[in-house]
Amino acid sequence: MLSIQHVSKRLGNRPVLQDLSIHIHTGEVYGLLGPNGAGKTTTINLICNLLQPDSGTIAVNGQPVTDATCHWVGIVPQENLLYRSLTCAENLSFFARIYGVPRRQRAARVAQCLQAVNLLDRANARVETLSGGMQRRLSMAIALVHQPKLIILDEPTTGLDVEARYEIWELIRQLKHQGITTLFTTHLLEEAERLCHRIGLLKQGRLLTEGSLADLQQHIAAEEILVLETDDEERAIARAIKLGYTCRYYGGDLALWLPERQELQTILQNFDGIPIRSISRQPVRLEHIYMELTQQRVPPTPAFEGTALQSANLPPFNPHH
Amino acid sequence: MTGDSGRDGRVLGYGRTITPALASGCHADCQEPCLRTNNCGGVKPDLMKYGRETLAIAQRILIELVRRRRSLIFWTIFPILILLLNGYLLTESDFVDLTQAEAYRIAVPTSLVGAALFFSCLGGSVSTIVAEREQRTLRRLFISPVSGLSYFFGVFLVHTYIGLGQALLIYTTAAVMGAPPEGALWLALLIILLSIASYVGVGLILGTQFAQRTEDVNALVATFGVPLLILGGAFVPSNLLPERLLLLAALNPIYHMVEALTLAAGNFDETGLSTELVSHVQFLLGFAVVAVAGGWLAYRRMVRVERRL
Repeated sequence: MLSIQHVSKRLGNRPVLQDLSIHIHTGEVYGLLGPNGAGKTTTINLICNLLQPDSGTIAVNGQPVTDATCHWVGIVPQENLLYRSLTCAENLSFFARIYGVPRRQRAARVAQCLQAVNLLDRANARVETLSGGMQRRLSMAIALVHQPKLIILDEPTTGLDVEARYEIWELIRQLKHQGITTLFTTHLLEEAERLCHRIGLLKQGRLLTEGSLADLQQHIAAEEILVLETDDEERAIARAIKLGYTCRYYGGDLALWLPERQELQTILQNFDGIPIRSISRQPVRLEHIYMELTQQRVPPTPAFEGTALQSANLPPFNPHH
Repeated sequence: MTGDSGRDGRVLGYGRTITPALASGCHADCQEPCLRTNNCGGVKPDLMKYGRETLAIAQRILIELVRRRRSLIFWTIFPILILLLNGYLLTESDFVDLTQAEAYRIAVPTSLVGAALFFSCLGGSVSTIVAEREQRTLRRLFISPVSGLSYFFGVFLVHTYIGLGQALLIYTTAAVMGAPPEGALWLALLIILLSIASYVGVGLILGTQFAQRTEDVNALVATFGVPLLILGGAFVPSNLLPERLLLLAALNPIYHMVEALTLAAGNFDETGLSTELVSHVQFLLGFAVVAVAGGWLAYRRMVRVERRL
């Protein structure tokens, strides 16, 4: 459905995208992750023909991107770009006309889209009276009103409270269940983990890696992650290295990669004699993979050099690797 | 399944069945993306697209105006007030000896094309662009398939409604004050439409290129507008202008609008339209074409520069 091949783009002298290649299959939900400035929104601009790539090609549904292909794409921008003094139904009806929804179908389509985002009861409410979450849902309805083949959501939950975020997730899940091809950008790892078939990690315009969560977990040679709180980190780290665990700091927390699952009792025995305040065991999550990849690979370096370690007194990597 | 049932009924959002054809094309004969309808079909854009987009934009701006009410009320009060002031001023003036009917007949062109249309059409179209920019809906339009031409005609259509409404108010008020419309009304209508087109064209140029914020609208209208209005005879009759300023006034479209509408109200020679009237209309026509082309190009430039998410 969407094919981005070897696309590079500079804005001024700054390379924004470098040899980016992404292929999204029909019905797939693809999450493009990256920090601010990674090139996510630029990628969307290119897909929507708002920018031209310096090199490479982009195709939607097999057609090179042009103004005409924008009929196949529905976009939910980062901000709620809505006519505030118009009602929900009027906003939708306006965009339905702009996108050429035939008059006979327009009223029904507007009602369907409002129902889809659970705003049918607010059809005649002015946008300025809606909460941020409702406005974001209306933005999603606008993206759907012309029945696009590809939906693009640019950081759809940014700035929303928890409840509104769950509502948007539910909507994305519904798109997923219907097999609607969806590309969304986010810097919320949990969001991507929950919703995507495949995830691409973008940093400084380069795609560091992509794949399903299971594929990405291969980047961390661990069965689970052990987060330790101790007053004697040096000894804990020395013990961990002796045991063959890889040590990392994630957000200031000491984390150890356990190469295989172990009983809690065994783990405690392994750290016998070290004052431990708490231990938590976690599965390998996207945040660990993300930290591992984003903090190592730009500029590209051999695996596990220049690690995610933030502490000067922590050995940077496991000698077994 | 509700609404326009498609080929593959699907469930979207909170378990409700909707948007049945989201991932499929909509016309059986189409493989390519097109501008004809929504997401499929032939490859040629058609005039219907421009018509549909123009009406959508015009309707949307009108709804917003009606919602705000205040603007519409002021656009109603303003021309009547200007006409009454101008008419009273000329009637009571010691410098000219005019009946009330004559005074109001003279006041109609200056009040309408010189003042009312200037602020509603030029100021209004600048405000339309700035409002879109400030609520960032311009960006939403940029990612939609709407064309610059449709946008221009949508704005033009709205201000044509407003301008014609103001013309109706002014002519009605003048008639009540004893000066019913005279002369070639079709010509008056043509001059009013050319004036609206000129103002909207210039408004789009100023709005797209110079006005980033609401505060800019006031400054722009004052800087560009007030000198042109004075030179155009909107506030001070042009026959009071010194010769040097009259030379400058000859380059001022507002001057030609006022003069053309004044002459259209009755001054015909035996062979039909006077050469003076024709020359004013010709200038106005030329200016309207340039303003419309400039407005369209300015919109295109804005799209090229600002078209980003």
